Amino acid sequence: MPEAVAGRTGQEIQANADAALERRWQRRYLVAALLRSPTFISGLVIVVFWVLMALFSMHLTQSPFDVNPMSTLQAPSSAHWAGTDDLGRDVLARTMAGARTVLFIAPLATILALLWGGIIGLITGFYRGLIDEVIMRLVDVLLSLPVVITSILILSLLGSSTAIVIVVIGVLFTPLVSRTVRSAVLREREREYVMASRLRGERSWFVMVGEILPNITGPIIVEGTVRLGYAVFTAATLSFLGYGLQPPSPDWGLTIATERVFVQLAPWTVMFPAIALASLVVGVNLITDGLGRVFSK
Amino acid sequence: MMRLIVGRLVLMVPTLILVSLLIFALAEVLPGDVGRTILGPFATPQQVQGLDHQLGVDRPMVERYSSWLGRFVTGNWGESPVLQQRVFPLVLSALANSLLLAALALVIIIPTAIILGVFAGLHRDSFFDRAITILTLSLTVIPEFVSGVILLVIFAVSLKWLPVTALAPQGSSIPTRLYYLILPSIPLMFIELGYIARMARVGTVEVLTMPYIRTAVLKGLPQRRVIMGHVLRNAMAPTVTVIGAQIGWLVGGLVVVETLFGYPGLGKLLVDAANTHDVLMLEAGVLVVAVLYMLSNLLADVVVALLSPSVRMGG
Amino acid sequence: MSDAPVQEVRQTDVSAPAAVDVRDLEVTFHRRGRDLPVLRGIELRIEAGEAYGLVGESGCGKTTLAMAVVRYLAANGTVDAGSVLVGGQDVSTLSEEALRKWHGEAVAMVYQDPAAALSPAMRIGDQVGEVFRYHEGLSKVGARARAREALRSVALPDPDATMRRYPFELSGGQQQRVVIAMALAVNPRLLILDEPTTGLDATVEAEILDLIEELRGRLNAAILLITHNLGLVARLCDRVGVLYAGRLVEEGPAREIFTDPRHPYTMGLLRCVPRFGMNKTDAALQTIPGTLPALGERKPGCIYADRCPMVKSVCLRREPDLLGCPGDAAARARAEAEAAPADSQAASPHNANPVGEAAHHARCYFSAEVPEMPLTTPVLAATKEAGPEGGGDVLKIDTVRRSFRDGRKKLVAVHDVSLALKRGETFGLVGESGSGKTTLAKCVTGLIAADSGTVSFEGKRLRPTAGRRSQAALRAIQMVFQNPDSTLNPAWSTRAILTRAVRKLGGGSGSSVRAKVDELAADVRVEPRFLLQKPMDLSGGQKQRIAIARAFAGDPTLVVCDEPASALDVSVQASILNLLVELQASEAVSYIFISHDLAVVRYLSDRIGVMYLAELIEVGSAEEVFKPPHHPYTEALLSSIPTLDFDDPHQRIPLRGSMPSLSEPPSGCRFHTRCHRILGDICVEQEPPIQEAVTGHTYKCHIPPDELLQLQTATEPAAPIEV
Repeated sequence: MPEAVAGRTGQEIQANADAALERRWQRRYLVAALLRSPTFISGLVIVVFWVLMALFSMHLTQSPFDVNPMSTLQAPSSAHWAGTDDLGRDVLARTMAGARTVLFIAPLATILALLWGGIIGLITGFYRGLIDEVIMRLVDVLLSLPVVITSILILSLLGSSTAIVIVVIGVLFTPLVSRTVRSAVLREREREYVMASRLRGERSWFVMVGEILPNITGPIIVEGTVRLGYAVFTAATLSFLGYGLQPPSPDWGLTIATERVFVQLAPWTVMFPAIALASLVVGVNLITDGLGRVFSK
Repeated sequence: MMRLIVGRLVLMVPTLILVSLLIFALAEVLPGDVGRTILGPFATPQQVQGLDHQLGVDRPMVERYSSWLGRFVTGNWGESPVLQQRVFPLVLSALANSLLLAALALVIIIPTAIILGVFAGLHRDSFFDRAITILTLSLTVIPEFVSGVILLVIFAVSLKWLPVTALAPQGSSIPTRLYYLILPSIPLMFIELGYIARMARVGTVEVLTMPYIRTAVLKGLPQRRVIMGHVLRNAMAPTVTVIGAQIGWLVGGLVVVETLFGYPGLGKLLVDAANTHDVLMLEAGVLVVAVLYMLSNLLADVVVALLSPSVRMGG
Repeated sequence: MSDAPVQEVRQTDVSAPAAVDVRDLEVTFHRRGRDLPVLRGIELRIEAGEAYGLVGESGCGKTTLAMAVVRYLAANGTVDAGSVLVGGQDVSTLSEEALRKWHGEAVAMVYQDPAAALSPAMRIGDQVGEVFRYHEGLSKVGARARAREALRSVALPDPDATMRRYPFELSGGQQQRVVIAMALAVNPRLLILDEPTTGLDATVEAEILDLIEELRGRLNAAILLITHNLGLVARLCDRVGVLYAGRLVEEGPAREIFTDPRHPYTMGLLRCVPRFGMNKTDAALQTIPGTLPALGERKPGCIYADRCPMVKSVCLRREPDLLGCPGDAAARARAEAEAAPADSQAASPHNANPVGEAAHHARCYFSAEVPEMPLTTPVLAATKEAGPEGGGDVLKIDTVRRSFRDGRKKLVAVHDVSLALKRGETFGLVGESGSGKTTLAKCVTGLIAADSGTVSFEGKRLRPTAGRRSQAALRAIQMVFQNPDSTLNPAWSTRAILTRAVRKLGGGSGSSVRAKVDELAADVRVEPRFLLQKPMDLSGGQKQRIAIARAFAGDPTLVVCDEPASALDVSVQASILNLLVELQASEAVSYIFISHDLAVVRYLSDRIGVMYLAELIEVGSAEEVFKPPHHPYTEALLSSIPTLDFDDPHQRIPLRGSMPSLSEPPSGCRFHTRCHRILGDICVEQEPPIQEAVTGHTYKCHIPPDELLQLQTATEPAAPIEV
């Protein structure tokens, strides 16, 4: 490749085509790497399965709400593949439908946390100084309160509608996200391209959003999926403890809470939701693990 | 070193004040009428007013806060209107129970997790590494009540190897009490296993890429010495930090596990208090948890300082 | 202690087995399912007690070779062919346990980054003592005694105190001494040095080299020195091997290699390094066009063919073996006969490898013609016309001061520095780490605000921070940074980077911006198709060119260059320096050029400033500053450069002690703690005045110019004065 100046016309056209192909190839490379990772694929399969269930289970199974006092606490049989619960409802139907609530709450809470945490992290990481000190101190304060306990505290006093649950989880996850984003920003702002940017007289917001942000999307995505896993975890725990959703919702946490008194008589009422929840959480975290591996290479 | 500890303790104070402010705000300011919150929607306005006066809720905010904080610091945590008992001894005994349970879980799992993590890191990408990673990953993300329930069904109900409840009969010896606590401690162990093992693995893998490991090997040192003297010492710092920070999730786990197994620990106390809107209990309990969290972080930082001379000497 | 390159041939014991005997070595790395051959057909032999230098640029495989010799290749690297014998012992047949013992006894290694090579959480004494405890089975007390001895042997002051310290408490030079102590502790048969002084200050580097030379006299280890720094090799080594893209392309006695190279690559390397005393007005630096072949690329014919200025058709057909030098007609005839179409793969009698016969061989059919190798770059660079113009100062720095807070300590990074710069002038700023040159540069550009003092541009005072400066000021003063990998935003395309710079600095819109971007790319010789790519797809040299283009986007008047070529290979460095000179001539810009490489600074600069411990201790024209009379520090700095000039055995001046801390600068003259020409108490108590040697050449010292001139031109080297 002699570094002499090349002729412009014909070569440029070819060069454009080459370069566009290169870009697509880079994106495709990432996706290809992801598709090659067994952890990512298994996680994806599980999560997609549950998303489909959340959307379409009503067409596939019996109704999760049909009460049948005649056949309560029946063991799994051909009529009810997973048995029935204490109100005679089909456990399989309820299990499949239970994905809906968790998959509604957790992603929304995560998006909120990413949004707020991202903004705070960008601002504190970029400006440093007094703003950083003050906000980080507040963040420390928030972090010293365990998520579950504080959620209970707030939800018990504010009431526990779905919306409030989403907001509370989002708010409580914001500090952790902001910490991660802040560290990423701190690393980038020392780089020379940021210095070059300042030498051009770029405004602060431009440097934050235009220069730094595109370079920290990797860590943000990974953090997002990590938070998603925790959000599923927390939402389920909260509904187990009685906060968030109310009967007759087929939510898994709630179901386990209400059915656990029958655990010795009819363990299937509890096992199926438990395994379902476990599989979803594992699935999300497999995705996280796969993403983490690919992005760190 | 002492300077570090004292410095951190001093720093804890303003943070704790802020935390207490937050708790106070959430508990007493947010819901509006404390008396109403406690008594519920069916009490008469007179009853509410009476309780409000009794609690001193009708006084100005600042006064309420400072008197509450003052009382708290002196150990006078008030009396729970719901349980009709003094808060302080209740919280303390619940705390003792929880500490026993947590200690059982941590004492077993911390060394196990570290060993597994370091082993996985040393044999990166091998079958063991993959297996350990997948195993710890899976176990760690399962909510405690899920694993708790599954374990309960398998070991207590079907196989009948372990008791269904967590509370040993009154006056049992420590070993007996621990026996009853085995089942509830396992979900906690599962959760902690993942985080700790993962951090240990990451720390080990990172350290192995460091040039000083190459130096150590090329010096002709036996492998045991390289691992014990060079790898471990340098890889443990982030792991210890994580352990300290895990207390937050551990407490959450306690809440769930104690509720599931009916164990009278701090977690169950808080959940019950929340369900009954027992504001005083909630405030006291959450503040205790916050203090514990900060202390455990401090402990972790002290251990890290012991491990890394550069932190210790501010180099 | 002369630093003249080793001239006499060491007596080697030919009956003893060679210290290192590498035969036909092939090493491959396996990455993502692809096999990348990194080393091919390496033949190397180092006799006991001999010092062998392995040179090459980044990616040539030299570290891989060292790792293969000690059998410490990464998990994905395999030795596919060949053998490595160390002291007669085949390394690959050793069991794990035997290998470990062998590592401890027979070989020792010294690394590039001494701080990283030492375990951060273990005391020095324990680390050094480990070798004795675990290898020789000594007790703790015994090991400690031996450790103390080892530290003393590397001239570390106060071994006991050092043993109690942790690595981060020592300076870079001290750390490297500890590493050397550990390496030599067990009297190894082979000592491998992998870039041992890269990253160390020049004066520290010289000290370490002295140490190695001295130790070498005492022990009988063979030495393998791996480096890209040719001067180092010239100083220490008996024989040299040149590695290019995993192939040994030339080998021979050090003196011959450097004075009479016989491979186009070696010749190219030697030509692109500015010889000391060269200036840009003399000649442009010769460059090596093209780039290194990609890892694992295999081609028929000579691997250097696509970059060789002497390439002929036979070179493309069949790769030459290592042939004895100078190549003659017979060898060429042989090659042409062998390259004929009906050629079979069987070795012909003429093809017997002549390695053992000649002492100097090169992998080239035309090694006889290498001394006449055609130039790759036109000779004439900037003419004197484009030099500094008359008229006012473009930049004036007046008593600038800047300090930082580190915990409770206050570090004064720049202490009352004043200087002036004319239009079109290049001002070179030299100094070691901690001298304050980068901080000063940042104060000028506005990245850091000076605490006090002023920076004026064309007579007008500038605001301290860039954010507050006018558009005109920003356009006029720009910067080129050191690290090509982080100087461009990885998330933007190259065209976007330049477009933004043009818009922000130059103004205009649409087509005029587009045209300007194309023009800039052309000026820096980057093909248009690279504009569409992201920085990660560009080579280091190309990235730096774009960075330069970016700095020129607004037609600046002053460009501050902070080590712009230090992170690049030597061959790329030359082209970047040429580019800077060219742009200066065509755009009439001034440069502040910062570098630790004195030869490069001498080449580029019209005037030079020397900084020591936050102060500007000498300023003058490039020629004046680098010859007596000049500041004793400058004198010592110059003497510590390892030179390629075999016939100029100038005495090296060792500096006592180490660089003082910025938080506690010495009283009086800051340099007095290390000065070899210290007069006495006056230097300790009083701050030295500014002396003027000739008009425009000033320095801070108590010794007046005539006396200094006499002292510095005397034939006897100054004896270090004990104070």
